[in-house]
Amino acid sequence: MKHYDVVCPFCGCLCDDLEITVENNRIIGVDNGCTLGNAKFMGKERLSSPIRRNGDGWETISYEEAVGYTVDMLLEADRPLLYGWSGTHGEAQCTGVHMCELVGGIIDSTTSVCHGPSILAIQEVGHPGCTLGRVKNRADVVIYWGCNPLEAHPRHMSRYTTYADGYFLDNAFRERKVIVVDVRKTETARVADEFVRIKPGGDYAVLSALRAIVRGKGDMVPASVAGVSRSQLERMVAMCKDAKFGAVFFGLGLTMTKGKYKNIRNAIELVDELSRHTKFTITPMRGHWNVYGSNEVFTWMTGYPYAIDFCRGIAFYNPGETSAIDILARKECDACLIVGSDPGAHFPRGCAEHLADIPVVVIDPVPTMTTAFANVQIPVAVSGIDAEGTAYRMDGVPIRVKKVIEPTLPSDSEVLGDIFARMKEATGYD
Amino acid sequence: MKVTLEVKPRRKPYLPIEAEGIMPRTFFEGADGLTVYRGNKELALEEIFSVAIEGEAASVDEVAIEILGDSSRIKRIGEYMDGGRIHIAGDIGMHCGNFMSAGEIVIDGNADAWLGREMRGGAIRCHGNAGDYCGAGYRGEKRGMRGGTVEVLGDAGDFAAETLAGGTVIIHGNAGDLAGVDMKDGVLTIMGETWRACANMSGGTCYVHGTVHDMIPTFRNVGRETVGGEVFTRFAGDIANRGKGTLFIRNYKYMD
Repeated sequence: MKHYDVVCPFCGCLCDDLEITVENNRIIGVDNGCTLGNAKFMGKERLSSPIRRNGDGWETISYEEAVGYTVDMLLEADRPLLYGWSGTHGEAQCTGVHMCELVGGIIDSTTSVCHGPSILAIQEVGHPGCTLGRVKNRADVVIYWGCNPLEAHPRHMSRYTTYADGYFLDNAFRERKVIVVDVRKTETARVADEFVRIKPGGDYAVLSALRAIVRGKGDMVPASVAGVSRSQLERMVAMCKDAKFGAVFFGLGLTMTKGKYKNIRNAIELVDELSRHTKFTITPMRGHWNVYGSNEVFTWMTGYPYAIDFCRGIAFYNPGETSAIDILARKECDACLIVGSDPGAHFPRGCAEHLADIPVVVIDPVPTMTTAFANVQIPVAVSGIDAEGTAYRMDGVPIRVKKVIEPTLPSDSEVLGDIFARMKEATGYD
Repeated sequence: MKVTLEVKPRRKPYLPIEAEGIMPRTFFEGADGLTVYRGNKELALEEIFSVAIEGEAASVDEVAIEILGDSSRIKRIGEYMDGGRIHIAGDIGMHCGNFMSAGEIVIDGNADAWLGREMRGGAIRCHGNAGDYCGAGYRGEKRGMRGGTVEVLGDAGDFAAETLAGGTVIIHGNAGDLAGVDMKDGVLTIMGETWRACANMSGGTCYVHGTVHDMIPTFRNVGRETVGGEVFTRFAGDIANRGKGTLFIRNYKYMD
């Protein structure tokens, strides 16, 4: 049996044109997907039942026992951290917020280690953004800054920019100019019309220089800024000003380097400056599948997009203080529930050491590096493969994802719903 | 009135204690039933501190609070403080002196992040180092500290005096990355080194007596100028932001 127009459950592109072939409730083929998406659909290392640490090994336990352990852990904690949420669908994220409010914990998503700085910048100066469809049909200049879509978002350029047809472009491939700004010559930089190589940590200075040049103050910019000659910066500004519609995409090369959210603020203010001459927009290259959805769900439910502290009964938000890495590195939580992410693979050593010292429950379909720190892991169906739900694309467009095989395990929503129901029962919460 | 609060040992010493009620006015008006928070648990003040109160006060300015013991994880001491004095014998946690409008806080040790956040008046003197966002603003806030003085005798972390909109911040040691970023008014003085000072500033004055590394390239060099017997290079900017700030620097290096 073949399923058409399936949404990919891997990165923030949420490509919705995949064709999945299923036989005997097993996926045997993926068409139109990239290497990363194919690997997710074809993955076979799923956990089949909940496990609990037993000395140096693991024992299989029932869902009932696993849920009971999680409820006790969260209710006994003084400051539990509920982290992850980007690998699951919006309905499960909603339940997570309710749970966090009930136990008086902190809820944070993988945003705080990817595009959290982008949101901080947006809160300072706003977001001149647009949908990917608008970029595809109109953009004749595309800037990729601190990101490498050919390897991290492999279909981004073919679906939305360089290799995509555009309704308002006669010959999109030839008309579109691509500028890549990075510290090294990436695969994406090799196909760029203009590659701007900057010194590590020099993004802010280059953005400031570009803003000054756009404003006609280029004469006061030094001859070289962070490894980039003034003449190249002037050429880049000329390309941008000549554009009918420009689109900036940026990645962790900008958000997670020196200056962090101030880099993004500077980039947004450059886009604002360019929009006095032509039309420009800016979009973050969101990585982990539904991480954008976690920001949407958290915001509509709490007023804040990530790193929300409910310990005092009301929502308090202060990334740097209430974000997962900071809390774990400072040992400021005493229990942790991790849903649909793998901090064990990505967090600093100090954070992993604290995870090893406190009770941890992981809700994830597969064993991950984080499993090494877990006391209990509860396997679930994969959103977009054997579970349905809603996810948000990197440009903020919500997309309903289907299931292509019948589930043999409960979904995130079902497991979290069960935990929440048991917590309400134990606390008398109405 | 002298109030002595000594921090007791805790079973979970790393969990922060939120204690915004600890300020002179609370004790002047009567601190019976004062509580603090350890995570989601509301606790009586006496569960975290040994409390001793001596004498009486005719006004809030006659109240002096002494904090002893390991207070490095006690947050929000002196938040909204409007008079009196707090002396912290050791280190202090985040948000000390948030929004304070009058009075004095003296810290013998180090202060964690957001020291004097959005302060309106009064004085904070930290004898050790200060963390990130010393004398800065809150997330998304366009204006940070608006009055008063923060003096750090050691070093300060990144984003010191971010969005400074009034008052004075003095750092006797080095300041980290992006000191005075987005500042709008007020005076920032750094006696040591710093990095990318006053990026995107639109107003105010900054003096750097040491070296500015990775100098922002969009400040206009106005020329040499002598201030207080020292020769500085005067810059105007940040031009990228149509800024009208003034930056006096002894030495600077671009990232070229």
